[in-house]
Amino acid sequence: MIKYQSTDINYYGHQPGKNIENREQKPRLTPRADAARELYFEAKSSASMEFPYWYTRRWEELEGEIPIIRRAEALKTGFEHLTPVIYPGELLAMGKASYLRGSYPMPWLSEAFFMASEDKLYREAQESGKLTADTFTTMGKGGGNVTKSVGKVISIAGKFGVRVEEMPILLEVAKKWKDKSVDDVGHKYEQKVPDYKEKEALMRSVICMFDSGYTLPQGREVINYYYPLQFGIDGITRNCEEGMAEVAGYPDMDRLYFYQAVIIMLQGLKKWIGNHAEEARFMASLEQEEKQKAEYLELAERLNWLSSNPPRSFHDALQMIWIFHVAVLNEDAISGLSPGRLGQVLYPYWQRDIKKGLITREKTMELLEFMRIKFTELDCFASMGVVGGVLSGNTFNNLCIGGLLKDGTSAANELEMLILEAGITCDTPQPTLSLLYDEKLPEEFLLKGIECTKIGTGYPAWINNRVAMEFLQENYGHEGMNLEEARAWSIGGCLETSPGSWMPLELDGEIHWIPGGSAPATSVGVHFLSLPKLLEVAIFDGMDMRTGQRVFPSHGYRLETYNELWQAFKDYFSRACHVLTLTNNIQHDAWRKISPSLVNSMLKPDCLARGKDIGQMGSRYNSTFNIESCGTANLVNALASLKQNVYTNGIYSLADYRKAILANFGYKTAQETGSYSLVDQVPTEDYHSWKKIHRLSLDAPKFGNDDPFVDEIMKSWETWFCEMTHNYRSLYDQPMYACQISVSTHGPMGAVALAGADGRLSGTTFSDGSVSAYPGTDRNGPYALFNSATCWNHARSQNSQLNMKIHPSVVKGREGSRKFLELIRAYLRKGGFHVQFNIVDSRMLRQAQADPDKYRSLLVRVAGFTQYWVELGKQIQDEVIARTEYEEL
Amino acid sequence: MDLTCKDCRFFLPVDVFKGICKISKEKITPDDRFCDKAEKVPKCKFCGKYLAEQDYLGKCIGNTMAFPDMIAAKCADFEWYTQN
Repeated sequence: MIKYQSTDINYYGHQPGKNIENREQKPRLTPRADAARELYFEAKSSASMEFPYWYTRRWEELEGEIPIIRRAEALKTGFEHLTPVIYPGELLAMGKASYLRGSYPMPWLSEAFFMASEDKLYREAQESGKLTADTFTTMGKGGGNVTKSVGKVISIAGKFGVRVEEMPILLEVAKKWKDKSVDDVGHKYEQKVPDYKEKEALMRSVICMFDSGYTLPQGREVINYYYPLQFGIDGITRNCEEGMAEVAGYPDMDRLYFYQAVIIMLQGLKKWIGNHAEEARFMASLEQEEKQKAEYLELAERLNWLSSNPPRSFHDALQMIWIFHVAVLNEDAISGLSPGRLGQVLYPYWQRDIKKGLITREKTMELLEFMRIKFTELDCFASMGVVGGVLSGNTFNNLCIGGLLKDGTSAANELEMLILEAGITCDTPQPTLSLLYDEKLPEEFLLKGIECTKIGTGYPAWINNRVAMEFLQENYGHEGMNLEEARAWSIGGCLETSPGSWMPLELDGEIHWIPGGSAPATSVGVHFLSLPKLLEVAIFDGMDMRTGQRVFPSHGYRLETYNELWQAFKDYFSRACHVLTLTNNIQHDAWRKISPSLVNSMLKPDCLARGKDIGQMGSRYNSTFNIESCGTANLVNALASLKQNVYTNGIYSLADYRKAILANFGYKTAQETGSYSLVDQVPTEDYHSWKKIHRLSLDAPKFGNDDPFVDEIMKSWETWFCEMTHNYRSLYDQPMYACQISVSTHGPMGAVALAGADGRLSGTTFSDGSVSAYPGTDRNGPYALFNSATCWNHARSQNSQLNMKIHPSVVKGREGSRKFLELIRAYLRKGGFHVQFNIVDSRMLRQAQADPDKYRSLLVRVAGFTQYWVELGKQIQDEVIARTEYEEL
Repeated sequence: MDLTCKDCRFFLPVDVFKGICKISKEKITPDDRFCDKAEKVPKCKFCGKYLAEQDYLGKCIGNTMAFPDMIAAKCADFEWYTQN
């Protein structure tokens, strides 16, 4: 097939050697972590009904109670009744549910997607377009996914196994939330938005991927562990009691109920932790082996202490942050709850323990490796379109290292070096690491980051500290963000720049300023918009030709000039943003009324001080809604092709392009071939009729080659997009901003898009990220790609995303490391916000696709996250294989 | 009533397919038969306040929905069912 026929892998530079090259060898993880990871590899994603049963039961008992108190009681009851589970050898205990990869449905958010397909609830959701993305998502077939019902296990959303004994109660509980869930209540009121039907059409055509209000209402943010670390549960309870005494009876009474709700919720957490302490003692009573028995008893003592008090040691502090991390995840369906700059939060404890000889570096490594496994065990129960089509089964717990301290000096520390080392020895998807690059960071630290990236973990991602700080000051300045506070930032989720604050942790009479998140979810809003599909609809005057349904009214342009086409696209994009912003605001309003956050609110400055939850703008920063895009390079390339072939050279008319697009340039569709990258597509007998127009489309200027013709189009798009988002107001009456990450949406969104004027074929996956080149089209080397990627100001957007794939031989050895670091520096110094890498021989990925059982532990970087290859859907696997592999820098 | 490992207080669940015996430390499945060391874990189906209505569904204390296989170790209302 034209340029793609000569090879099935896209290379830049020379061809690789005959043999498949392995990644560089890495040191092994500790035996304890090794055993835990083996158990993880054996475990399947499993859902249970304990928590939702008790939550719903208590909720129903409290009909008529003040909503936030009712919510607190329901959460408390859920936590109290979770069956505690302690696994042998665990250094950190507790999880979301009573399975290793446990999770559970939250029907108070949404109850339709896990109903049987013939159920009325399911059918209604399908008709409104809410489940269309599920239909076009491919789930990973291996690893821990329960993709099919087997024996006494029912598969839900292609991922979660539920015991057959629990299915009837799951359906009963779900039906109790009909017309009461956030989804249903939001849907009832979103229909009041003028042009609501347009929203449904956008969902059915998968121009928009999903609603955030009831699917993932929280997340893509940075947690803040300060309060439990400083005060412990009893201390926070006392603070709330004092708060209640101050506000009871005075105006703004919601503060009273908030404090009371937090106290109730904390009682549930205390019992939950205490139950685990009791279980640890029970396990000790059964244990014959003395060392393990002692460990159980030590764990029991630790949990018992932490159920009331602040931590006494590094180990205590790590257990405490884990408890609260899981507690937040159990209050909502959440992806992307990032621990943030954990190495800096825990450093005061670790430094003290090291000085006192209470911990060794070896023990620290064991704990940090174990922490990685606990984070990797996390699952998020959501629909197939969300868990597969967006998340690829990942939960995006991003741990950041580097950056700057409050005083503007380097924040890198020795504990962060060990975090990197644990990321090398225990290479697991979670927590992914992001290195906040600043020129002030020491070389040794940066080279450690390179060492980690080189072995193929996909992390750390390399992030530009200064660009993020500029973005934060620009977008949160009106809420008080200044330079010093901007330094406390971190990545929330896979790549969302999130505001932070410095909190005064007092330890042994000394104040340590620790960073932590101080805003709610920084990525809720319009999620995601398919740019190539919007252009397609503009070309066909408002019609989705795949479904034959009208999405928008006619735009009224004859499309006789490029400017008319550009304007038609912008008009449709703006219409989509308008209606989706309004419907989304309503859904989030339903969320904050029905299912307000309590655990996360309690943690976020300044909710406790203000007596308001995050839904009532209790957080210090609240300008957090955004508009997310997908398929940038395909949009830009398609516009470049039309500009050149239709509007400048006049070789073809737009009518010719319409016909070629409908004919898929004479190729079978990706759905027909079962392959989702351009390199694998199969021509039909009609192929020759379309060969010339397809060749011209493929040969048109492509983004990523330092070509001003196409880069100008990119710059025009970015300049307009980043500015126009400010025209839309969030639920909190704050201006929105641009967010440009694809996560995994480029798979299902590509699946429903027809062929593009850039030569991309129907159903194939879009380019990933936002400044990544389309696979195989970046032919002028990495520095040309960098020039293209930085043709606009990245500080205008919450993020940009650049993925690169490099053959392991290119960065081998110490010299390779230096070269690699210089490459990254070059990009960041040009103003690039983010770059991440797959260091892999693409032929190995081909082998892993053919023989997945042999590659259970193989990791790849997708778009802002690392995942096990076998747990990725084929749409994404094919795209990762097709990415240009750099054989030289 | 046929009892299996998932009804035992020594069953440590790993996932919906398997678990670990807390006594023997061996991998087992939830559907393996009760052994001679097994002891019942509190579950709704063993509770005197549970009334079965249909497969996998019933009522707790007369009017609240419940399901037989839910572990009730942390339920304040649990009481072992005793036959008169």
